[in-house]
Order: sequence, then structure tokens, then C-alpha cells
Amino acid sequence: MRRKSVPYLMILPYFLAFLAFNIFPVVFSFFISFTNWNGISATKEFVGIANYIRALTKDSFFFLSLKNTILLTILIIPGQILMGLLMACLLKDFFRKTRGAFQLINFLPYLTTTVALAIIFQLMFDWKNGIVNGLLSQMGIESIYWLGKAGPTRIVVTLMEIWRNYGYAMIMFMAGLSTISDDLYDAAKIDGANWFQQFFRITVPMLRPIFAFTVTTGMIGVLNLFDGPQLLFSGTNQPMGGPGRSVFTIMIRFYEASFLNFEFGYGSAIAYLFFIFVSIVSALLVKAFGERE
Amino acid sequence: MQAGKKRKLKTIVVVIIVIFISIFALLPFFEMVIMGTYQTDQLYTGVKLLPGNYLKQNLQNIMQHEFFRFYVNSFIVAITNTLCGMAISTMAGYAFAKYQFKGQNLLFLIVISALAIPPQLGLVGFVIEMRSLGWANSLLPLIVNGIANPFGVFWMRQYITSSVPNELLESGRIDGCGEFRILTRLVVPIIKPALITIFLIFFLWSWNDYMVPLVITTNQKYYTIPISISLLSTEFKNDDAARILCLTLSTIPILGMFSIGSKYLIQGLVAGSVKG
Repeated sequence: MRRKSVPYLMILPYFLAFLAFNIFPVVFSFFISFTNWNGISATKEFVGIANYIRALTKDSFFFLSLKNTILLTILIIPGQILMGLLMACLLKDFFRKTRGAFQLINFLPYLTTTVALAIIFQLMFDWKNGIVNGLLSQMGIESIYWLGKAGPTRIVVTLMEIWRNYGYAMIMFMAGLSTISDDLYDAAKIDGANWFQQFFRITVPMLRPIFAFTVTTGMIGVLNLFDGPQLLFSGTNQPMGGPGRSVFTIMIRFYEASFLNFEFGYGSAIAYLFFIFVSIVSALLVKAFGERE
Repeated sequence: MQAGKKRKLKTIVVVIIVIFISIFALLPFFEMVIMGTYQTDQLYTGVKLLPGNYLKQNLQNIMQHEFFRFYVNSFIVAITNTLCGMAISTMAGYAFAKYQFKGQNLLFLIVISALAIPPQLGLVGFVIEMRSLGWANSLLPLIVNGIANPFGVFWMRQYITSSVPNELLESGRIDGCGEFRILTRLVVPIIKPALITIFLIFFLWSWNDYMVPLVITTNQKYYTIPISISLLSTEFKNDDAARILCLTLSTIPILGMFSIGSKYLIQGLVAGSVKG
């Protein structure tokens, strides 16, 4: 009799914490999204779906943030995946002994807090004193106002995110590569296939599940992009999301509405719309990767 | 002969590419470490490649700005959050792996579906909850944030299922061990690698967390390192070198742990990370 209750006792802490700190806030936020609460006043008015209608029809910043986030996804994801794949393949084929060290070096950016990355990038891409413009001027190229114009700002954020995450993709691809049998490559070599043929005929098809995983998690990561673009302009005289709000993402809009303007109801509505959006994107990706098989 | 020469050339090209990319991966870190050893005035007088001699002075400047307290805060939060999360995940993962009980499948399905909930979805509700509990003015919100981690349960269940033999549990029962004693005395030593993985991942997430402390912590006393560096930038406004040294110091624990346990961390990430 006593033993029967043991597994329930063991899962109890998880479900208690889950209810208290995950489910309750999520349900509570859903409720708040139908009110105009500012988080402080004692009264909150029920406004129906007004917050959702506002986001979808009146809030030009919401649409701008959606557009920026999608644009950044398109810029970042291919670079991130290709860099990771390239490094994984090169390390596997040419660095059998020193692989561990290179793996560590290329994985370092993923481990570092974004605050550090953003400040370092801020300094490196500084208009007057940054190392990047210093190198450019030595090559005779005119200095670029990296963090002062919309286009260059997007480039900096793209570089920063690729640089931060390609090591993670690399690790995933290396794990995938280690599961491909050497026999396949040996057979291909006997048939006279060169490195590129082996790459496109064996490596890429065999890595499909890893592609599915890295693209899906990578996209969810970029859709959630917040700290990088937000921190890059902290302490500068640029608006939230940089010059021309060119890297103003959905999560920055959510943060601004909820915690700077104290529109808790409206912020929660944005969070729920975003959740629906991400769910649709994930479902489409899962379908796209599943169907080809 | 010709083929051998060609192969050698190819290898050299590849080695150059890899080293080139790795230099770019390292450059910002290298610059971070180096810049922290200079006086701010000297920082912008050309590219620095060798360390300067201002490290001690920068350290003293940092200490005047309570940096030590933020460091301690970050450690308290990360360690408590990680250990609680580990204990909760291990118990639940063990129960799902080694017991049959009513509602097991449904309950596990609930755990797995939680993986699809983005962390920001309930953030507004979480902030209000913490305020109403009176916890906002403490480290507690950061400690309880994410301690029910579905990834942890999933990962522990997988690992225990595949690496803990049922005979061991039976032999423990025959010897008269209680069920919880079996878990702590017999199972925990076997699943050490999985515990290390979970520890490193949870610690990394907690240590680097930015958004939750940013929106919850209003009292400067309870700032963690990432928040202190970004929000207190005004204090260091004219002292970039000190700020950069803070960054270097904040990265050291993670780098240390990772170089010791990189094998386990990579294993864990590969098992299916849920971050982001």
C-alpha cells in the first residue's frame, strides 16, 4: 500500500512547482490580456478582445516588430546553419586530434552572457574608435556609421547572432556526423566520388533530422530575439530597437508595452498573439521537414 | 605522387579556413580580456594586442561599485535554482522511468507539452504573482523561476531508463532499503554523468538569464551580474575599462565549469535542448 504512493510523492514537487510558477502565470496572463490593467491600480476593467484587435489593426509598432523579426530570421538562420555545418564537417574530416580544442573555441560565444556580447560589439563597431572601422580605414575604406543607420545596424545584429549561435549548430551537426557510418564514405570513395559529391549525396541527406532540429530551434530562438538588439543600444541615444527601429523585435515590443508603458493587459495580448504565431511557424516547419521523407 | 600533393594542399587550405574562423570566434573574448587591463583613456588609441598594466586599478574601481555583491547574488541564485531544479527533475524522472502508476502516461504527456510553452507567455502573470506574494523585493523570484523544468524531467527519465538496471533496485528492496533510500544511495551514483549535464545546463541558463531579472528586480540590492552591468552602466559611463573587466569576471565561472565538464554539457545539449 505504501509503495503505491511513492511515485506520486516523487513527481509531486515537480507538479507543485509547475502549477505555481508555470501554469498559474500563463493562465493569469491570459486573463489579464482581456483587461486594461496597468498592474498597479486596484481595479481592472474587462475590455473583451479589444487588446487583440488593437495589436492586429491599430498598432503600427507591432507590425513593424513582426516585420523586423521575420527579416532578421531570414538573415540569421541560413548563416548560422551553414557556418555550423561547415565547421562541423571540416573539424570532423581534417582535425581528428585537435577537434576538442577547436570545438571549445567555437562554442565559447554560446556560453557568454549576451550583456557581454552586446557591450563588446558596441565597442568593436563604434563609429569613431571601434576596431572594425579602424581595420576598414587601414584598408582605405571609408568608416561606416554601423550603429547609427538602419541597414548597418541590421548587419551588426545579424553578425552578432550568427557569431553567438553557430557553435551550437556546430555541436549538433558534429553529433549527427558521428552517427553516419564510415562504410558509406568508403563505398563512395571506391566509386570515385570526390569530397563535394560525398558531401551532397551522403552527408546532407543523412543529416536531415539535425537540419530539422537546428532550423526549428534556431528559428524559435530568433523569433524570441530580445536581449541582443535591446542591449546593443542601451546607454546610447538611439531609440529602443536602434536607429529607425530597424531591429525592434516582437519581444522588444512586448517588453516595452508590458514593463516600460505598464500596459499589462496589452502586453499579455501581444505575448499570446506571439505564441500563436510561433506555434503556427513550428507546425509548418515540422510539416515541411516531415513531408520530404 | 600528384594525388598526395593535391591532398596536402587541400588540407592546408582547410586548416587555414578553420583557424581563420576560430580567430574570429576568439577575437571578441581576447579583446575583452585585454581591454580590461588598460586605463580607459588608453583604450581607444589603436588596437591593443598585449595586456596593459592597469588591471589592479580597474579591479579596485570595480570593488567600489559593489560588484562583489552582484557576484554573490548571481551565485546564490544560480546555485539554488540549479540544485532545486536538479532534485525536482531527478525525482520526477526516476518515478516516470522506474514505476508503473495510474495516470502515468497522461502526466508525462503534460510534462512534454510544457516544452512548447515559451517562457515569456506567462511573464506578466509571473511578475504580478511575485509582487503579490511579496517576493519581488528579494532573490526568490529568480530562484523559483524555471525550477519545474520539463527538459530536466525528460532528460533524467531517458537516462535512468537506459542506464539503471531493474535488478539493482530489486536487490536494494530485498536488503530492506526504503524507496527514497534506493534513489539516493543506489541510483544517484550511477547517474552522475546525467546529473553533471543537468547541473551545467541549468547553471548556464540561470547565470546568463537577462529578461526575468530585468523586469522583476527593482531593488539594486538584488541585481545579478548581467543586470548590474547593463543597468549600472551609468556609474561606469566614463570607465569602459572597468565595465569590460566586470564582463571578463562574469564569464570566468562559466568558462571554468565548461572546460571541466564540456563533454557532459555537449551530451546534454545534443540530447535535445529546449532553449529558445
